[in-house]
Amino acid sequence: MREIEDFTLIGKTILRREDSYLLRGKAQFLDDLPEPRGLIHLAFVLSPHASAEILAIDTAAARALPGVIDVLTGEDLAADVPPYAPVIELAGYRGVARPVVARGRVRHVGEYVAVILAESPYAAQDALDLVGVEYEPLPAVATIADGLAPGAPVVHEALGDNVIFRTRFATEGFEARFAAGEVVLEEEFSLGRVTGVMIEPRGCMAWPDPIATGITLWTSTQIPHIVRTAIAEHLGMAEANLRVVTPAVGGGFGTKCHLYPDEILVVALARRYGRAVKWVQDRREDLLTNVHAREHVLRLRVAVGRDGVIAAADLDVRTNCGAYPNHPFSPTLEATAAVRMMPGPYRIRAYRYEAASVLTHTAPTGAYRGTGQPSAFLAIEGMMDRIGRRLGLDPAEVRRRNVVRPEDFPYVNVVGVRYDTGSYLPSLERGLEMIGYDAFRRAQPADRLVDGRYRGIGICNYTEVSGTGAPGWRVRGFARMPGFDSSRVVVEPDGRVAVYVSQADAGQGHFTTFAQIAADRLGVAWEDVTVIEGDTAKTPYGTGTFASRGSVVGGGSVIRGSAKVGEKIRRIAGYMLGCEPSRLALGGGRVFDRDDPGRGLTLREVAETAYSMNNLPLPQGEEHGLEATDYYDPPMVTMANGTHVVEVAVDPDDGRVEILRYAVVHDCGRVINPKIVAGQVHGATVQGIGEALMEEIVYDGGGQHLNASLLDYLIPTAMDAPDLALGHIETPSIDTVAGIKGAAEGGLTGAVPAIANAVGDALAGLGVSITRVPLRPSTIVGLIAAARAARAGAA
Amino acid sequence: MSRARVTVRLTVNGRAYVREVEPRYLLADFLRHELGLTGTHIGCEHGVCGACTVLIDGKTGRSCLQFAAALDGASITTVEGIAGEGPLHPVQEAFHEAHALQCGYCTPGFLMTTIEFLAANPDPTRDQIRQALTNNMCRCTGYLNIIEAVEDAARRLRAQEGGA
Repeated sequence: MREIEDFTLIGKTILRREDSYLLRGKAQFLDDLPEPRGLIHLAFVLSPHASAEILAIDTAAARALPGVIDVLTGEDLAADVPPYAPVIELAGYRGVARPVVARGRVRHVGEYVAVILAESPYAAQDALDLVGVEYEPLPAVATIADGLAPGAPVVHEALGDNVIFRTRFATEGFEARFAAGEVVLEEEFSLGRVTGVMIEPRGCMAWPDPIATGITLWTSTQIPHIVRTAIAEHLGMAEANLRVVTPAVGGGFGTKCHLYPDEILVVALARRYGRAVKWVQDRREDLLTNVHAREHVLRLRVAVGRDGVIAAADLDVRTNCGAYPNHPFSPTLEATAAVRMMPGPYRIRAYRYEAASVLTHTAPTGAYRGTGQPSAFLAIEGMMDRIGRRLGLDPAEVRRRNVVRPEDFPYVNVVGVRYDTGSYLPSLERGLEMIGYDAFRRAQPADRLVDGRYRGIGICNYTEVSGTGAPGWRVRGFARMPGFDSSRVVVEPDGRVAVYVSQADAGQGHFTTFAQIAADRLGVAWEDVTVIEGDTAKTPYGTGTFASRGSVVGGGSVIRGSAKVGEKIRRIAGYMLGCEPSRLALGGGRVFDRDDPGRGLTLREVAETAYSMNNLPLPQGEEHGLEATDYYDPPMVTMANGTHVVEVAVDPDDGRVEILRYAVVHDCGRVINPKIVAGQVHGATVQGIGEALMEEIVYDGGGQHLNASLLDYLIPTAMDAPDLALGHIETPSIDTVAGIKGAAEGGLTGAVPAIANAVGDALAGLGVSITRVPLRPSTIVGLIAAARAARAGAA
Repeated sequence: MSRARVTVRLTVNGRAYVREVEPRYLLADFLRHELGLTGTHIGCEHGVCGACTVLIDGKTGRSCLQFAAALDGASITTVEGIAGEGPLHPVQEAFHEAHALQCGYCTPGFLMTTIEFLAANPDPTRDQIRQALTNNMCRCTGYLNIIEAVEDAARRLRAQEGGA
């Protein structure tokens, strides 16, 4: 990529324009949109059973209720709403389809069993209680172990067992390389099941266009183009007859980057009834039915030299994928992410892995901030500490000896992922320095006890996959992940600029940053750029906003699109001024001669020519209009990186973990807007603290969901958010446009292992081994008691 | 379930409204759907997340847990009433400048909580701010910029008081 250096606005903090309406309560989230006349409100009857046969559904009483329009079961929808499935082209994956509304069988608590159509949400809720469903409960499995047990109930009979996906990999001569290691360490790590908990639950509204034959779907999603393609394909509609629009979206975190059955259904019912159809999720439905994530078990075995250098690594990953594959990723997402990311910032050259995804009678799992990476780094970073303890080396020193060093870049890791640039060692050193690591270690008492609490420090070096392009999705078999994103940059007749981007904002600040980028590249005032996105009818095709791709791919496309329009501005202006276009520069809303800045035109004057608003001709062969469309497909992935170092105090009496000091070093390459990047780091880190210390969706052994409320599923509050010391390193990518790397997930990926390691360090003297998150107080009290009992038994 | 409607009189953002609604109609739905004041958001419907927080006779309350009919005669302030069409309120300004919102869905609730808190605690410590904000959940910001915004808002309000 050509080096771009003359930035004027890129890299500067500009306060967000979206705040002006959000702060006044004027934003339009899904349930804030004006409601069309004759709107049908939906409510779903949810399965109370994890696994059951549906014997009969009695809808008569519900239908008789005033205000109820209809009550539909899976049978009533069979003709025009078939089951749906992701399109995955990957060996080892065996697809099964998911019904939009269950027919005959339910496979998880919360599965849709019937749908109420009513004139108001209150009537729809009343009708829910009047639908009588007769079930024959069947045996259920909820955990990975139970799903794999011999003779376990099979979630989808057609598959014969519960392993929906399995994949293996080994480098050449792996066994010999492993055997060459002097010390072998092995540990099993696991992560509880969590979920996104966007403060705005999901919702959607389909509206038959009163003029044309099409339908507009308003939906709170991160992936409008993918949703449109999937629904049109699924319902047999011409894609052009479906328009998908995202209103303001109240957080996404990956949870909203899936296609959900209700999104298909509102479109199908709008088509069937010729009326607008709306559904708004409540929090219980969010926690019961939106994709969950994690619930991974990782068994990591490493062979190490006495110097602490890893000779070979062997990883076995199992994930609980719930009852159905999510769309569009399928259960291969987390499994392949975890095994592909485990080598992370370390020089691991001999590697073997196996990954399997296991079906259970629980809610489907899918993407959530960090996808596979918190798990991968919990394992490898946990192992770094264990290597140190086994060999008598400082854990920071073990990392220094294994990390990909500055002179190694560009570096291709053991599974073929290119790290073009990075600051792995400088980032580690900076993090250690910020926390005063050496001083802490010198002062740390052998028993780690200070004022009645155990003190420890944890480190996590992480790499962060960002901006995945088409090659990155193809290699993992995701046939409905385009990989590219696009923009259409228009200089309007008035000389102001409109930027149409294929992305969909869910709080990242695109309306500010993309305007900032276009203004920078076109030399116009930031206020004169309008950003339009989240609308398939207005924007060119693209992938969407998830997996830390907005700035890399969306931003990259805006830079390229702006450059293309810039060329046209120069050509037309050069013709108008009678000079070579190459002499012209853009700035201050003008195009002017570099050597004679007084000689130039305003963009408005150029636009008047481009749009035939004056009597001036265009250069020969030039078309009217002043715009360009750009489709940007970035490299396979772009690797950001960083280091978390955290000090904790663990109270052995109540099991509480207090975070005393927290240092985050992050490197996302070229920064567009520093304040927005810092916000991403804060938010992700605190989500990671939640995953490490408190969050977990709990099912009992029979697949009953036990904590579907925010009183029982705990997310961090302001009391749980420690002050964070942020260290910025900026190592631009040499592969992406302008050197941008992603920034949205590293905070979470770094936090989970760093906190687990800090607790592990604090309790190491007691013989406690930390292998699982979340580390809730009860868990820690139990671990300490067990370790003390084991010591007493041994004594 | 009775469909009988009752008359509810509420003053919202200084304006008097009279509506006939079901006795079970929630205040949040009354504000959002009867009055079109959709700035008050619903995040959990069980009183935990705080997105629906409004001022009821000057005190914060969860509009998702209260029946409009039970509040007959009350005076309500919503996010739309903080600054009206005029310049942003100092608390709103502080949130903007500290980048204390991302998706912004929870923000109206945080603003109401902050306004009430700073009225009673004009010069709070960071710990006091953290405690006050536990009434509200945010999943985007990690709270740090919100805490900073509340500190800054306190300074702005004190300066305003001093200047007045």
